[in-house]
Amino acid sequence: MMHVAGMEVRRGPRTVLRDVDFRLLEGEVVALEGPNGSGKTTLLESCAGILPLTSGSVTWRDGQAEVIVRDSEGRRNEPPPMGLTLQSDGMCGEETVEERLLLSLTVSGRGQNAGAVSQMLSEWGLEHRRADRVSHLSGGQRRRLAVLCGLAPAALSADSMVVLLDEPSEGLDDAGRELLSGWLRALAGAGHGVVLATHDAGIARCADRMVRVGGGHLEESTGPCEGEPSKLPDPSQLAKSSTHGSLVRWAIKMEMRNPVDTTGRATPALVALLLSYTLLQEVDMSHAGSDLLAALVLVPAFITVVVSPALIRRLTEADCGRWWSAVIGPGARPTYSIIGASIILPLPLTYLSWIVLAGPSDAASESEVLSWLWLPAVVMIDVAAAAAALHLLVADLRRASAAVASLLLLVLVWPFLQLTDALSVIMTDGMSFGLGIGDPLVSCIMASLISILVWAVAIYLPDA
Amino acid sequence: MHSLRATGATLTALGLSGAAATLLLGLLWAPSVDPEAWNAPEAYRILFWHVPFAWSSFLAFSVLFIGSVVWYARRSEIGWRLICTGSDLGLLFGLGVVISGPIWGSAEWGVPWDWGDLRLNTYGLLTAVALFLVLARNSQPDGHDTRDTIASVGLFGFALVPITALATTWYQERHPGIIIVETEEAGLAPEILTVLVLGFISFFVLFAGFAILSDALHQMESRLSGLQHRLDEEAIR
Repeated sequence: MMHVAGMEVRRGPRTVLRDVDFRLLEGEVVALEGPNGSGKTTLLESCAGILPLTSGSVTWRDGQAEVIVRDSEGRRNEPPPMGLTLQSDGMCGEETVEERLLLSLTVSGRGQNAGAVSQMLSEWGLEHRRADRVSHLSGGQRRRLAVLCGLAPAALSADSMVVLLDEPSEGLDDAGRELLSGWLRALAGAGHGVVLATHDAGIARCADRMVRVGGGHLEESTGPCEGEPSKLPDPSQLAKSSTHGSLVRWAIKMEMRNPVDTTGRATPALVALLLSYTLLQEVDMSHAGSDLLAALVLVPAFITVVVSPALIRRLTEADCGRWWSAVIGPGARPTYSIIGASIILPLPLTYLSWIVLAGPSDAASESEVLSWLWLPAVVMIDVAAAAAALHLLVADLRRASAAVASLLLLVLVWPFLQLTDALSVIMTDGMSFGLGIGDPLVSCIMASLISILVWAVAIYLPDA
Repeated sequence: MHSLRATGATLTALGLSGAAATLLLGLLWAPSVDPEAWNAPEAYRILFWHVPFAWSSFLAFSVLFIGSVVWYARRSEIGWRLICTGSDLGLLFGLGVVISGPIWGSAEWGVPWDWGDLRLNTYGLLTAVALFLVLARNSQPDGHDTRDTIASVGLFGFALVPITALATTWYQERHPGIIIVETEEAGLAPEILTVLVLGFISFFVLFAGFAILSDALHQMESRLSGLQHRLDEEAIR
């Protein structure tokens, strides 16, 4: 089902895994054992395509086809449907229990079988909390849910599926561990392949094969294969759905439930607008020139777009982003940068700024500006995507909160200045479609191209 | 390693002496420029440091770029060391440019910074990128993923360098042209040219000295990190 060939993975100066070969067969449970820091999680996350490889490849079987999930040549593909439980749960606190379970089923192509969902939630002791947010659960309940979300896609699948579980029994009580053990044997019996990293000798005893990780190498032995298989729910229908579509719907739902992104962006923009208004009361605009007014009109929208997206904070919560990255594969970063960007606010904010800040001017000039104000506002959306991409780049760092993202965001002052120039010319000379340097259309195109360049570099280079 | 450090220290001392001599000759020996052509003719003397600072920082960003490419191509330790050295020196010499430039701008233009000048802004950004890299390297745990991210920011920074160079030629607004290349057109007095050349040589030697010292430091850090990991592994056993 999965084949790891000649894999080498480095973390900093240390080679954690060296020339590792590993196969996962249908109907077996493989337990990865080893001391802390030996590379169990590294192996598991490399199998999921989350970590880059220094050499080797990870190949999954998808029906009759073989898919290179990731290799050291930079190739990366969306993995076939799988079950995945990360060490840090990989869930966002805004989600409800039911939503999370349904999401894990949807992204793995399973239909939303209400009866099966209720049965699984009841069996795992979460039925009474199905409408509660994940953040309201206890640590043990969160772990139960995370493990269930890793197991459920395979449990409802008639086709064999890979299940990757990192320390699944960590935080589970005795009943939970017994339940897990029964499900693992049942999944193996149904033809699925399970790899689990564990320190728990009890859980490891239900494995068909034991793999000891240490010194960068693997040592295999036969497992005890103990435990009575549980009864799994009946398989549900296949439901074709786009993982990217699921991510977009998830992001919108989280934002509508708690509009921290919209509020966090709009508040500083409105404060900037009020301050600009106060400042302009003290300035004689007839001598100040149009550049100042143009800059002040665009400042609220600019502030809105450079604010760190709430999506990134949601994705960093309990490694939620790593879960999505594993499920979506190489397309995750571009999608994050688009749905995390401020797409809606720049347009209304720019018009609001103009209405508030523009003093009395002749009707023809005002009409001309109102007719073309959308142009710099729309280009500001490109700037928003570039800003989100830069925030994502910084979020890749393990201590992202200790990095100064604003130093990279300074590059966006440049398109902002181009847009200011364009608006200033529109205000003084009206819109023109000339293609000379300094013409508003060219300034907007320049701003857009710079933003796209920044976006492309920030999105595609880290995955290169 | 010891002889390398001694070479680095010697070159650094030579470079610093040359830079000091450049400053003294620029202030005391170089003739004044045409007072009619400039608002603050005496302020031009800062150019004897400003221009070599700029060229040295270009050199530093080139080292950063090469390091980033090598890291991406091979994930090798030498690539990472070049990134470290390039970002350290890029910050050092970049700060020299963005500090000395506004001093001249204040005297000549009446304002330290011109937001309408593409080259000025691009240079500010290059230095900001170098500052980000140095801060990020010091604040992040060393790891494969950290190095990947920092290398991509390094490449991102270098993408700004050709834009800066093009900006100099195509979009030049208030900033003076590339006088070291256009010697005849600029009509530089021989004494000015002599001091400028001395400045270039001195800053290049200083760059080489700093680069050797910085690389030696990062080699030692890398060895120390390797030893710590061996101790970690032995502690687990």
